[in-house]
Amino acid sequence: MSWQTFILHIFTYGILLYSILLTSCYILIGAFSISETRTYLNKNSFTDYRVLASSTEAPSMSILAPAYNEAATIIENVRSLLSLHYNNLEVIIINDGSKDDSLERLIDAYDLYKVDYFVNQQVETKLVKGVYKSHNQVYRKLIVVDKENGGKADALNVGVNIAQNNYFVCVDVDCVLEQDAILKLAKPFLENSTHRVIAAGGVVRIANSCEIEGGRLVKVNLPKQFLPRIQTLEYIRAFLLSRMAWTRLNGLLLISGAFGAFDREIVIKCGGYNHKTVGEDMELVVRMRRYMEELGQPYRVSFIPDPLCWTEAPSTFKILGRQRNRWARGTIETLRFHKKMFFNPRYGLLGMLSYPYWLFFEFLAPIIEFFGTIGLIIYCIVAEINYSALLITAGVVSIGILYSIFAILMEVLTYNQYKQRKDILRLVIVAVLEPVIFHPFVVWSSIRGNFDLLRKRNSWGEMTRQGFAAEKKIL
Amino acid sequence: MKILVVEDNQLILRMLEFRLKKDGHEVIVTHNGREAIEKIEAVQPDLVITDILMPYVSGLEVVAAVKKKYPTGTPVIILSGMGQENVVVEGFQLGADDYITKPFSPNELSARVRRFDLSIVK
Amino acid sequence: MGVRLFLTTKISTINRILPFTYILKVEYLVIVIFSVVCLIGGLLVYMLFYIYIKSRREKKYDKWRLISDLLIRKAVFYDDDQVQAETNIPVTDRAKKLMNKRHFRKLLTEEIVSAKKNITGISAYNLKNLYQQLLLPNYALKNLKSRYWHIKAKAIQELTVMEMDEYVTELISFTNNQNELVRMEAQTAIVQFNGFEGLSFLDAITYPISDWQQIKLLQQLAHARPVDMGIDGWLKSANNSVVVFALKLARNYQLFELHDDILQCLDHTNPHVRLEAINFFCEIYTEDTSDALISRYLKEDLKHQLAMIKAIQNIGSEKDVPFLVSLLDKDDHEIKISAARALTKIGKNGIALLKRHADDKGYPLDQIAMHVKGGLPA
Repeated sequence: MSWQTFILHIFTYGILLYSILLTSCYILIGAFSISETRTYLNKNSFTDYRVLASSTEAPSMSILAPAYNEAATIIENVRSLLSLHYNNLEVIIINDGSKDDSLERLIDAYDLYKVDYFVNQQVETKLVKGVYKSHNQVYRKLIVVDKENGGKADALNVGVNIAQNNYFVCVDVDCVLEQDAILKLAKPFLENSTHRVIAAGGVVRIANSCEIEGGRLVKVNLPKQFLPRIQTLEYIRAFLLSRMAWTRLNGLLLISGAFGAFDREIVIKCGGYNHKTVGEDMELVVRMRRYMEELGQPYRVSFIPDPLCWTEAPSTFKILGRQRNRWARGTIETLRFHKKMFFNPRYGLLGMLSYPYWLFFEFLAPIIEFFGTIGLIIYCIVAEINYSALLITAGVVSIGILYSIFAILMEVLTYNQYKQRKDILRLVIVAVLEPVIFHPFVVWSSIRGNFDLLRKRNSWGEMTRQGFAAEKKIL
Repeated sequence: MKILVVEDNQLILRMLEFRLKKDGHEVIVTHNGREAIEKIEAVQPDLVITDILMPYVSGLEVVAAVKKKYPTGTPVIILSGMGQENVVVEGFQLGADDYITKPFSPNELSARVRRFDLSIVK
Repeated sequence: MGVRLFLTTKISTINRILPFTYILKVEYLVIVIFSVVCLIGGLLVYMLFYIYIKSRREKKYDKWRLISDLLIRKAVFYDDDQVQAETNIPVTDRAKKLMNKRHFRKLLTEEIVSAKKNITGISAYNLKNLYQQLLLPNYALKNLKSRYWHIKAKAIQELTVMEMDEYVTELISFTNNQNELVRMEAQTAIVQFNGFEGLSFLDAITYPISDWQQIKLLQQLAHARPVDMGIDGWLKSANNSVVVFALKLARNYQLFELHDDILQCLDHTNPHVRLEAINFFCEIYTEDTSDALISRYLKEDLKHQLAMIKAIQNIGSEKDVPFLVSLLDKDDHEIKISAARALTKIGKNGIALLKRHADDKGYPLDQIAMHVKGGLPA
């Protein structure tokens, strides 16, 4: 056997093996997602969430909303957070050293005054400059914290220290939440009497082109621009299929930083958000799970598929590229911090399934795809056209499209946010175009993320400067 | 009497409309707090009946808005499923004139509405 | 024909080039891709068909909704025009005919149930009559026997909202059903019909009652009149969630007579039970309660210790001041804050002592003292 044929062998079989693994994952995720979604919807068909809205026994929740240079919209956004339906609630806005007049505007609009406040530093943070409350009874749920700039993780840690309630919900201040968002997110913590629910994630949907008035979503529209539209599909796939399936297995590793609830006691015991990574939201969930596994206590990470949180998605390649670059770095950093769990039976499903899946399909997938494609192209040019490898690639792409179409079908059968038939067709077209136009760019961005990390470029300072509102870890 | 009704449950809204019209009132229906606050200026109602849990803007904010605009006139009745002490107290603190908890009796509502009808009182 | 010939020759030449023809025939790959494309097509057709059917159904439903609305409105305001209690509510022939359609029945039932939830008085009574007059309970009873849990649970909920108390006996057996949702609805039903006496299912229940269900039951009981129902027995239940629920009942209804029984719960093995017992003593106490808490203080973890301090804040007296002052020297800030706050609530002496202590020790006690004096939550 010549070396050319040997390489051809390895190459083609490698791609084949990878494709088969990927396809089986798709099938399993689809199946688990169907069963979990069906259970959830059946249960929901006769659940009255309003029981929680005013019950004094409802779990107490604190909303943590870090803000950096959001002066233009902060008043409206805070107002919409304050009007959420939940009685046992406090809303904590953390001004992360904004350089604009966010704080002054808040003080003005909500009649705030500085209070004597001893911040119990259960989690280490940067300096808190002041804590403000309102003179006005209507805003009694509001607490505004002013602190030195330290990035999102640090701001959230301040919130964790200040929060008084058993659970906290972290939201991006520019997100639009549905009125019953907190009600639905609080419920999982009450449901399970055998397992302790340590966190509950929510769905994030894309708000581009949607009609928003006064911090409230009025009408859902499919984004008109190409990039947000393709991300709409991406989000549907990620939340409705992947997250649901992992919830079924109790193996969910990521709760989006834009909208999720956590058990404050456990978070504090774990040491809060890690500000050494750009993927602090994923890292926290992994660390909480690891903590519970090491403690040997039964626990669950729950997930709510209802569309409750809407956010603006990046609409230029530049911002999108930066976002994906950061996601890639966050994933690698998280995996590196917790490499001890890799195929470690001591960590149960977390070590044997969740962690390896993230390693192989979230971290390695772009790398394999990138080098696989490059290799294939080179081989076809210098040697001969490798038809079977090309065909396998075509097969993987078509299975990917099938998976996307299945996701769209799930959306139509469940929440059906895009009512017009035209919109569904548009989504289908996007699903076909995605592998050609969008996907290569995403792969390239995460390759660059890998690269940046290799070159040890610590981009933390840079991120603090530009703020975190424009990019958030969601998928 | 001109009554502005704010209620997000369609069925209840239509029922309220039907009943109040039968009592001889003029009824303007709105489906959420924001719509109500927008309409108040144009409608100039003699009475507002509002739910609390609604999309966009809650009924408590409607109460606050009405009372801010008309500190002395335009009574507000809250009609809500939230019967907990603290919510009721908050409603009255904001200036509500009456508080009816759901489930409610349409007959009782009609009687309470009549109390605010100045043309009858006189 | 030409295309197929081209393909076959092409494929056979490819297969000749490749060394692993046995396993990976190109035909297979083509077949796989072809079937995936077919599947995509199939899904698309199914989706479009589904959307089409649904939009057509929606139009029909809109019409039906008008009919059922009219019917419900007629029932709700039935007594207004003519006072004739026991006669039937007139149902149009059209509606009668539609009653044979399963989907219309479902829609009408949902509307009646939703209206009933929001209405009381004579109108509610009329709605109940309409529900019975249309023989809807029979369908609900049939659904009770469904093999799907969500249909079963929904039927129980329907009968509960419509106050069909004659079926209570049928529902009791579901209170310990293996499906949680069915069990929950049945428990809610019994409590709705029988008030506190309905809680007797707690004697036999083997499954845990979730916190969610406890909230629902407490809400359901909010308007019921408490009766002596053997809470003391539940306090000794082997089912920990029953004990927790009993403690919540005792707290909500301020059952002072259970004070001594609940004191024993402070030594329960389950931490939730102990926490709930401590919470009970936030409001109900005797002279010795705070001593009982203090004597167990060291045995507990942080969460329970904080709850104890909070209870003492509510019920403590001068004699607890030395204990609270001793806590000011603990390492944990949370303990310090809670103790400081409790001191400010207990009496003049407490505030003075806190101030003196803060002046002596300086940071962080001085700031904590300022903080709690602001009356803010920690």
